[in-house]
Amino acid sequence: MFQYDFMQHAFLAGTAVAIMCGIIGVYVIARGLAFITHTFSHVGFAGAAFAVFMSWNPLAGMLLFTTTAAVSIGGLGAKVFRKDIPISVVLSIVLGLGLLFLSLTKGQSNAMMALLFGSIVGIDASQVYEMFGLAVGILVVLILGYRMLTFDSFDPVGAESAGLPTRFISIAFLLLLSISVAEALQIVGALLVFTLMTTPAAAAFSLTKSVSRMLLFSAVFAVIGVWSGLTLSFYTNAPVSFYIAAVEAVLYFACRGWQVWREKMLPSVKPEHVSVSTEM
Amino acid sequence: MESALSVEHVSVSLGGEWILHDISFEVRRGEMVSIIGPNGAGKSTLMKVLLGVLQPSRGRITVHLPPAAKNRSRSIGYVPQSRQMDVDTSLRAWDFVSFGLPHTLRPWLNRKERSRVREALELTRCEELANQAISRLSGGQRQRLYLAQALVRNPDLLLLDEPTSNLDPGGQEMVVELVNQIRQERGTTVLLVTHDMHIAAKYSDRILYLTRGRYAIGRVEDIVRPDVLTTLYGAPMTGIHEETHTTAVPSRTSSMPYLEV
Repeated sequence: MFQYDFMQHAFLAGTAVAIMCGIIGVYVIARGLAFITHTFSHVGFAGAAFAVFMSWNPLAGMLLFTTTAAVSIGGLGAKVFRKDIPISVVLSIVLGLGLLFLSLTKGQSNAMMALLFGSIVGIDASQVYEMFGLAVGILVVLILGYRMLTFDSFDPVGAESAGLPTRFISIAFLLLLSISVAEALQIVGALLVFTLMTTPAAAAFSLTKSVSRMLLFSAVFAVIGVWSGLTLSFYTNAPVSFYIAAVEAVLYFACRGWQVWREKMLPSVKPEHVSVSTEM
Repeated sequence: MESALSVEHVSVSLGGEWILHDISFEVRRGEMVSIIGPNGAGKSTLMKVLLGVLQPSRGRITVHLPPAAKNRSRSIGYVPQSRQMDVDTSLRAWDFVSFGLPHTLRPWLNRKERSRVREALELTRCEELANQAISRLSGGQRQRLYLAQALVRNPDLLLLDEPTSNLDPGGQEMVVELVNQIRQERGTTVLLVTHDMHIAAKYSDRILYLTRGRYAIGRVEDIVRPDVLTTLYGAPMTGIHEETHTTAVPSRTSSMPYLEV
């Protein structure tokens, strides 16, 4: 399998994107931004469709659209962007725009299908460098901002009270998320970006209470999903995205099952026996 | 005694309405002052102004930092009235307390920081909870953890906004008793917002009684008096002092029955 250049590229790019998505996914779950992640993937799709229409690099179009959406949505404030209705309005507008650019673009149906479903095995060496660069950049920012981002994600009221710049953290995180979505979209496609952004992290939340271990488990689960997906796809010819989604789902249900079993096994606290005499 | 906090002619207007009006008081180092008053009196607003997250419309607040203190935000510990946390999140108590440490670009905790987290957990009697998920803790245990997070940066001034509001009477007494012990051991200045006059009377050096637009500060026996309460509420009021209970109630009027005690 590794004798082929395209498989080497796929494993390298897939690993970088999986680690990045696994780590950022922990904060997506903690901040309750799963729906926004889904919206960004469609914004990215519209951006890529626009780029193909303009004969640009699709990644440039995706980054332009998703980062603009991140700054605009972040500027509205957490009270607005955590609500479903304004986000679903944005989602429908960008999906409409994506379809418009799709209809205006002629003879590019393969490129557009790749954006919707992903094309990990079609990645060349220059794209691998591009993805590695972006993933490393995002991970460095996440490492440097780890303490503030973790506090604000898990305890927003406490973070605001402690004087943290919570609005800045919110916008900065949405920007990182939008860039990650644009990158992951090339691997798993707009329809399955959700898979790498939320499922490994959700599985990790079931396994541990420690934030550092959540980050580690989530990254490992994402990498397992991508590696298994690539290997199974190579030998069966079925889409990579399907296998990635299937492996992540199996991991998630296994972790949830283990969590439920463990909670049942925990000793329950017996109430103290109190007798009350009613005799006078 | 040295002053820890000066509030000078502070007024706060929100949405065109004066929530606090021309309030001045001073808190001495190591003193415990309870802030009491009816709902909507501006107690939480005062806390936010003291914390610096809300700017007063008029007046000045000065937090007198001891020479060793690095900056204002590191010298104030705060326990908010409510916490917006997902109850299903299995976050361990150790991580939650460590969030309160001063923030650096270094993602891991060094030896000194780990010992500060341990110390804060010990101080609030939460050592055995360190590896427990917050979602599995009782209300009283969570409240002690919130206190531990506020204490982990070793603050000189502790602001507690109704830290006992969701607890049963036994739990309320235990949390405030713990705060009082920490104050005595560390010399921390404490401002405590509470609805419980009994707790305020038992543990505080002074109380700040806030009503909409009016306030009084002094020892509990000086504030919970018919003349002061009547001025504060703008209606006939009296104070009831019992062995275990102190409260402000409306005075006898023709339409309102009055229970002699």
